[in-house]
Amino acid sequence: MNDRALVFDGIGQDFPSPGQRNKVRVLDGISFDVDRGKFVAVIGPSGCGKSTLLQMAAGLLMPTRGAVRHRGRKIGSINTEVGFVPQQAQLFPWKTLAENIELPLLLRGVAADERRERVAGALNSVGLKGFEQHYPSQLSGGMQKRGSIARTLVYRPDIILMDEPFGALDAQTRMVMQSDLQTLSMEAGATVIFVTHDITEAVLLADHVVVLSQRPSRLLANIPIDLPRPRNMFEPFRNSGFEAAYDAVWTEFRSQLDTGRVH
Amino acid sequence: MTDTAYGAPAGDTPARRGLAEIVARPLQWLLKLLPGIALLLFWQWASGRLIKEIYVSKPTAVAERLYELFASGEIYPHLWTTGQELVFGYVIGVAGGVIGGYALGRSPRLSRIFEPYVMAFYGIPKIALAPLFIIWFGIGMGSKIALAAIMVFFLVFYNVFAGVRSVDRELVNLTLIMGANQRQLTWHVFLPAAAPYVMLGMRLAIPYSVIGVIVGEFTSSAQGLGLFIHEASSTYDPAGVFAGIVILLAFVTIANILAGRLERRLLRWRALSGAGPADI
Repeated sequence: MNDRALVFDGIGQDFPSPGQRNKVRVLDGISFDVDRGKFVAVIGPSGCGKSTLLQMAAGLLMPTRGAVRHRGRKIGSINTEVGFVPQQAQLFPWKTLAENIELPLLLRGVAADERRERVAGALNSVGLKGFEQHYPSQLSGGMQKRGSIARTLVYRPDIILMDEPFGALDAQTRMVMQSDLQTLSMEAGATVIFVTHDITEAVLLADHVVVLSQRPSRLLANIPIDLPRPRNMFEPFRNSGFEAAYDAVWTEFRSQLDTGRVH
Repeated sequence: MTDTAYGAPAGDTPARRGLAEIVARPLQWLLKLLPGIALLLFWQWASGRLIKEIYVSKPTAVAERLYELFASGEIYPHLWTTGQELVFGYVIGVAGGVIGGYALGRSPRLSRIFEPYVMAFYGIPKIALAPLFIIWFGIGMGSKIALAAIMVFFLVFYNVFAGVRSVDRELVNLTLIMGANQRQLTWHVFLPAAAPYVMLGMRLAIPYSVIGVIVGEFTSSAQGLGLFIHEASSTYDPAGVFAGIVILLAFVTIANILAGRLERRLLRWRALSGAGPADI
């Protein structure tokens, strides 16, 4: 049985660079698989094209070379079977929290009764019960992020793509969110691709950490993380085996962090 | 999921702010009215003392004149004509501006072709078209409606165009991934995102529709407030001129209040963002 949810097969991507005739090669022959129900973190120096991979998986961008396959089907247009959690929460400011979370269901033609039920369930699972009628501008950054995650979970996408979702949060909120994300993805058995530049975050959350190099980006390593779950997000060093796992990722990553270069 | 201390839902107003607010409201109104009253008093005093009354009239004379105009019914045909011209010109201009601005804002291809033309036409002083419009549409209401509509159109057009173009691409992509088709995208993303710009254009356009109609009536007409003001000024009747202007002011004020109401209703989500309600 084939339990691969998503396959990146020899991805290459060139972007036109302003003022130059030659295109900039951003991604260079990247291949890795994402198995169903697994949490894969993609880590690399800034500007290396991590987010570009997510855009390809969502069908927003077609790779210059290679192909992305979702359950064996080559992605050629907008992929509505994935969910996307962007860097900023990107809730619709003109909709209340409940309306925001209801929108994907509305767009997919889910009946009103079921919509109400699933919105309530999603709000409950991210701890935002009681804030249904609030507009996003009335919520804190962390709450908006929870809303954004709920809006993705509510339609049960096959794969959840997360693009540095906790990057803009303060340190405490981020730890709480990481812990909650672990719980949610374990409960839902979700397949997640999580882009980050934080090694600790990657090691704590992921089953596999994919390490990318600087531009033009190649795949340096695909490191399995075998720490038992649930993991302690608040005290990373208390997880047995954390140091070894962190070290394995850091060894690959450090070579990319020479100072003085423009990232 | 862990319960975190994000604080209670917003919106609970402390009771002790209640009293201060009750006093503050009328006080603010008084402060707002004060300069206007001062101006009227100065006008009344200066007229006949500093400047000859034949040049500037005086507030009491204007009020008297207004009363006469309404009591005798002399003003009603003018009011009715100008009112119709304003409403039709405004509505046609807004509708055209919203449709045109939205179409060009959504389609980069259309906007590449048509934007230079619209830009060039925008630069034409529309007032200069008034005599031409009289020839094209006659001295009746048609020419005034056309003039008001074209002035309103460009203001609304540019605001809607800018509004639609400013919609965050990432938000659009997210909505597409959520499963939206083009119609749903329009309804759930582009129209609400452009709404503040539409409202801004509509409010800016109110005085311009008045200018368009009055200039049209000045140029040539059989009936209307513009004609009334024109006749009053050419017969050395400053009280009549000011009476006409007061009526126009009332038009603009009422339209502004209505637009403000509409804006508060449509843009509720914005008023709640902590910036305080937008006052007219």
